Amino acid sequence: MLAQNSAYQPDPNWRVPQDAAMKPNPLARKPDAAAGGKKLFLRNCTECHGQDGSGLVKKHAADLQLPVVQNQSDGTLFWKITNGNPDRGMPSFSKLPEPQRWQLVLFIRKLKPEN
Amino acid sequence: MRLAYIALFAFSLFASVTLQAQESPYFVTYDHHLEEPGNLEIETSSTVGVPRAGQHWFFAPYLELEYGVTGRWTSELYLEGQSTAGDSAIFTGWRIENRFRPLAREHWINPVLYLEYENINEASRIRKEIVGAAPELNESNAELRATRAHELETRLILSSTAHDWNISENFIVEKNLSENEGFEFGYALAVARPLATLASGKNCRFCRENFIAGVELYGGLGTTQGFGLHDTAHYAAPAISWQISDNTSLRFSPAIGLTHGSSPALLRLGYSYEIRGFSTKLARLFGAKP
Repeated sequence: MLAQNSAYQPDPNWRVPQDAAMKPNPLARKPDAAAGGKKLFLRNCTECHGQDGSGLVKKHAADLQLPVVQNQSDGTLFWKITNGNPDRGMPSFSKLPEPQRWQLVLFIRKLKPEN
Repeated sequence: MRLAYIALFAFSLFASVTLQAQESPYFVTYDHHLEEPGNLEIETSSTVGVPRAGQHWFFAPYLELEYGVTGRWTSELYLEGQSTAGDSAIFTGWRIENRFRPLAREHWINPVLYLEYENINEASRIRKEIVGAAPELNESNAELRATRAHELETRLILSSTAHDWNISENFIVEKNLSENEGFEFGYALAVARPLATLASGKNCRFCRENFIAGVELYGGLGTTQGFGLHDTAHYAAPAISWQISDNTSLRFSPAIGLTHGSSPALLRLGYSYEIRGFSTKLARLFGAKP
């Protein structure tokens, strides 16, 4: 499977409301919760984003390691996981409880190349 | 007769061998979560009906193939059967169901539009919806299977998430295109919540996060000829789902009949298996490049 969608460009129409973008991660002081986030990531996200989060070209999935993703706020990532972008292939994960979606955000932070 | 029972059991078992994450525990009520695009979920479920005096036990298994066509459209095919104690085991028909999410984002209330075509006979007992008046359960399968029913079922699904609780309401309208009997109405209401909302770091089968518990309330609301609660069937059903592994889950719900027109109890069991990236795997099988 061809990974590393390094040419990924975010959908300019996938706009996050300001108040949602400002939300802090309530688990930010619980880094241990990232382990649960990894488990959730492997279960729900690797099909399109790959195990290292670099994104499958064929799926047009975001490379989560890219600065264009990593520079987004925790609240933005949480909102995008919650709502998805169904017309561009990203499903909504609102079926996951809210704390689990914040765990995913914690884990996505660990996908930075320096980690 | 015995062969028919064995065939039904084998059908049920085969389906269970061939069968996601955070699977809803509901059997009748739908929430707003659709199948992820390109994924196929294979589910085998069964409804066991506990009889009233003078009636017979019945066992109604069904196989469900649920496919995420797009992020806002899920389609399902059902194949169903039925076996009545002291009578026969028969195939009762098939259904095609489609669910559409008109709104792209999560809202306080999330509407989903539902349209189903049923080509079944009157012996169908899976009880995926309870509509109209209370059913007659005294006729034999031989009599019932002779009467085919082409039905259209529509639902307005409203579903919300509040503090990790799912609250869903379904309003059902069904029309039997084979008979001039007007429209039948029904409802289904449900709430559910995971037993734990934080995922542990370890892979565990019996962690509380793998269980979702809830309760459903569903029943008929009569027909255009007689709208209301008179002579209708209603059930209250605690329900639980258990995510056994990344792609398998089990659901159980004992429904208690609340009115004289209801069966005293319905026992429901479902087992599902999800094939992630089914469309990609299928395309690869036919030579598409990875």
